[in-house]
Amino acid sequence: MVTNLIYFYFLFFGTIFCALEIIFAPMMYLSAISLFLFVCFSSLIYLYLNSVYLSVFQFILCGLFLSVYILLLIKKIGRINLMLVLAPASKIIVSSIFVLLLGGLFILYFFQEFDSSLYSFFNAVVEKSFGSVNFRHYLYPLSLVGVFVLVSAAVLRVFLDNSLAVEQSKEQEENKL
Amino acid sequence: MINSLLNIGLAHFLALSLILFLMGLLGVLISRNMLRTIMSLFIMSVSAVINFVAFGYYCDTSMENANMISVFVLILAVIQTIIALVILYKIYQANEYLDAEKIKDKEN
Repeated sequence: MVTNLIYFYFLFFGTIFCALEIIFAPMMYLSAISLFLFVCFSSLIYLYLNSVYLSVFQFILCGLFLSVYILLLIKKIGRINLMLVLAPASKIIVSSIFVLLLGGLFILYFFQEFDSSLYSFFNAVVEKSFGSVNFRHYLYPLSLVGVFVLVSAAVLRVFLDNSLAVEQSKEQEENKL
Repeated sequence: MINSLLNIGLAHFLALSLILFLMGLLGVLISRNMLRTIMSLFIMSVSAVINFVAFGYYCDTSMENANMISVFVLILAVIQTIIALVILYKIYQANEYLDAEKIKDKEN
């Protein structure tokens, strides 16, 4: 019981700390490393909630692929030691107030609507859906989605390359004229 | 109060999800570096997934529905991040910087 509690709060604060580190890390590479840790912590949270498949899936897709991709990208563009640059102080203050207000509204809405009837409301939603979905049947479409992601990224890259080349040639023509 | 902190339930995960969502939103609003903005968007997506999984665990014993939705949300988050990174890389190639304010100024 106690171990369970400590484990949960370790994950809770670990996730929050990593998210803070992503936003406020002084150097860019620290931010990318924090993203990896954030993915690890959130995967452990899914594991805590008995979602083994999702946990492994996120760790492979985001931890081993996305974080490394971001790290390599910032290395490639030479921005690995890029310092933290925030918006002007006025914008930070206004944004913070906005976020706090939004959080307050969320909590108020939550307590007003679902104070004691939270479980019954979502149970009703679950009961309305007939039967359960067999997750294994969706693995094949998911692999198609993965292929689709790669293809769309490649097409987008080619498209952007072309548009960049057209713009550059236009600029060159203008310079010649 | 202490009792509610010791008995871990759905509300704890919803609180975690809410905190992460708000932090992601704050990151999007205050960061000038576009890479950090994209990472903040990813934090928001993960907070949504935590929400789904928590509801699946506490309200749906089979967990299949929650896992299904979560995997799709996660895939969409990764797609969004990768496409944003590709666009960002092209913007960087064209402008040599990642500062959102400078890019906006240049466009104007």
